Amino acid sequence: MTENALTFRDVSAGYKHRKVLDRVSFSLQAGEFVSLIGPNGSGKSTLLKTAAAFIKPHGGRVELFGRDVARLAPRERAALLGIVPQKLESPMAFTVEQIVTNGRVASMGLLGSVSSGDCDLVERAMIYTDVLGMRDRFFGELSGGEQQRVALAMVLAQEPKLIMLDESISHLDINHRNEVLQILLKLNREEQLTILLVSHDLSLSAAISDRLLLMQDGALKAAGIPQDVLRADLLSSVYNCDLQVRQDPYTGALQVSGPLEGQQRSPKTGCRVHVIAGGGSGIELFRRLLLEGHRVTAGVLNLLDSDAEAARALNIESVFDQPFSPIATATLEKAKRLSREADAVIVSHVPFGTGNLVNLDLAAEALKLGRRVYIATGIAGRDYTSGKQATAKVESLMKAGAVCWESLHELLAALHEQKTH
Amino acid sequence: MCADNRFTEKKPSLPRLRLVLFLLAVPLLLLVSLMLGPSGVGFPDLSTPVGNAIASLRFSRMLMGLMTGAALAASGVVFQALLRNPLAEPYVLGVSGGAGLGATISILAGASLALPLSLPVIAFVSAVLTLMLVYGIASQGSGGQPSVYSLILSGVIVSAICSSIIMFLVSTASVDGMHNVIWWMLGSLQPASIAQQQFSALLITAGIAGTWALSSRLNALVLGREMAHYQGVNAGLVIVVGLLFSTLLAATAVSLSGMIGFVGLIVPHVMRASFGPDHRSLLPLAALGGGVFLVICDAVARTILAPIEIPVGVVTALVGGPFFLLILQRRMKQAWIA
Repeated sequence: MTENALTFRDVSAGYKHRKVLDRVSFSLQAGEFVSLIGPNGSGKSTLLKTAAAFIKPHGGRVELFGRDVARLAPRERAALLGIVPQKLESPMAFTVEQIVTNGRVASMGLLGSVSSGDCDLVERAMIYTDVLGMRDRFFGELSGGEQQRVALAMVLAQEPKLIMLDESISHLDINHRNEVLQILLKLNREEQLTILLVSHDLSLSAAISDRLLLMQDGALKAAGIPQDVLRADLLSSVYNCDLQVRQDPYTGALQVSGPLEGQQRSPKTGCRVHVIAGGGSGIELFRRLLLEGHRVTAGVLNLLDSDAEAARALNIESVFDQPFSPIATATLEKAKRLSREADAVIVSHVPFGTGNLVNLDLAAEALKLGRRVYIATGIAGRDYTSGKQATAKVESLMKAGAVCWESLHELLAALHEQKTH
Repeated sequence: MCADNRFTEKKPSLPRLRLVLFLLAVPLLLLVSLMLGPSGVGFPDLSTPVGNAIASLRFSRMLMGLMTGAALAASGVVFQALLRNPLAEPYVLGVSGGAGLGATISILAGASLALPLSLPVIAFVSAVLTLMLVYGIASQGSGGQPSVYSLILSGVIVSAICSSIIMFLVSTASVDGMHNVIWWMLGSLQPASIAQQQFSALLITAGIAGTWALSSRLNALVLGREMAHYQGVNAGLVIVVGLLFSTLLAATAVSLSGMIGFVGLIVPHVMRASFGPDHRSLLPLAALGGGVFLVICDAVARTILAPIEIPVGVVTALVGGPFFLLILQRRMKQAWIA
């Protein structure tokens, strides 16, 4: 049985006022190549910091090669685990070689004397990462990708048995990214180096990793071989957008593609939609609809409303009315002109009062004209009219064929379907 | 390709040449300082008792200058590394102010006359207390690890408070005490008692040796506390020990020669710009550079308006300032990425 390089047992960790990791348990076997994926802010960096005992866990236990990381001397820990940061920053003008030499700091004598063995390690790390030619250049003068390779060289010089890379390769050009990955794969194969790669490139992670770990909101959502983790439904819910996973019939490689690819392939095929919003319920809706390539109109919006601001800022054709008064008939007519031209009318999670109740008539008319109408669920909780008139109206709309929607993801999928039919 | 060659071929030879020139200049400058004094330019005649006395006075002032300058410069190097900031130095962090306040109290209380070694000890203790106060204020609400900016801000504030307390004490002191304190505050390399000199030499040697032993860890810390941690450096310990050593250096310098500004800030910058930021070589070089710089400034201070002696702090800033600014303007990029 192979040894575990890293084990998290029920680890909770975070910062003073914010808990990030919530009872995370997993282990990496020695010699494995694992990618850690997950949306921004899901706790990937915190997990790395906790593994290196830079953050002390509130609960649970972290083990490096079977030993409690909290009890390892700094020097022993550095011999087991090296971390390549997202970005290495040096306020002072160190040369590349001086930076890489830092990787040996734990084994240096008191006066910083470097043994010849250490020198060889530094040299070898620079050759591996192709930075030897720039050894006397100032680190700060290098490009972002070159700096990343220097950072990797520094960690390689440290000679750890487990290397974690915190999105370190995302800034590299395609040539150097492949080179760095080849170095990592080679070290992984030939020297049994365990590697944990934090990455946002899901397809690439799937191609190179033995296993994937998927994080969401500080918890481990899934772990396993790429085929088990890269499932469209799982990814779509974790990343909160519409993702597809395709498998290349020849190579078996998994390709994750998002809504952007679809849009680029078929531009300007979006629907024309009219949005009934208010009270800030429309901002995210506008943004996502525009991103999907739909043509958006809105109204009637109250002039002081944050949705009115957003509509103006996003250049959305809208109809406005004065605040604190019922919507004027003339204004409603203008809005009707917009909604008649739309392929679909969307009612957001907007609260209804006597003032904006007539907006629902727009939806009713559209439905009569054979347009699709999408209404956000939970109208009863947003109905502030006397006698629950809005709820009644919505119910009759639903009977007449309106569709209800809950999450943006759902709504966008429905629109997509409508578009293709 | 072209750019690569330019960088890889030319760079190494220049610092080496600069290093040789610097090391040759040090003994020469020290000799020059022995030739300067209010009694005239040139080596004193050692065959006469007067000449002998002048020579020994100039020699002991040279030693005072070397010790004080080395301590201030080394202390500045360490503060700048630990805080990763070019503004950091003993004055900015309130360490010198705290040491000065302690020294003032001990001078006014007469303790320094009774016990010759009490001055450096009290200066060190009050400097450490001040540093702890600054650190404590800066850590408020930041969860134990203060940002550099809040450290510098609270350092400047505490420093201002210390100097106003010093002024208050001086204004209410007797004429004698006032004279002693003001003369000491202006900063001078008048030789202290032999016992104090020996004790200070011991502390400064220990301080420089201690910080030098940390130098490879300081290099790692410049890349940030987190990165240093990942590389197997006990970052917290190195920071505390480094702060204690550099505070010891600054406090000893202050107790020995008073408030001499500028050396702790500018000498580290110039040496870093000239020889690179690797602390393993920077620390000893900065100590040497600071010592020689102060010795020369003192020689100028006692000679230029002889028999009047101007405070050495005036010379360090007036003469050293423009000179160093010139160097820094041209070479700052080799020291800090700004």
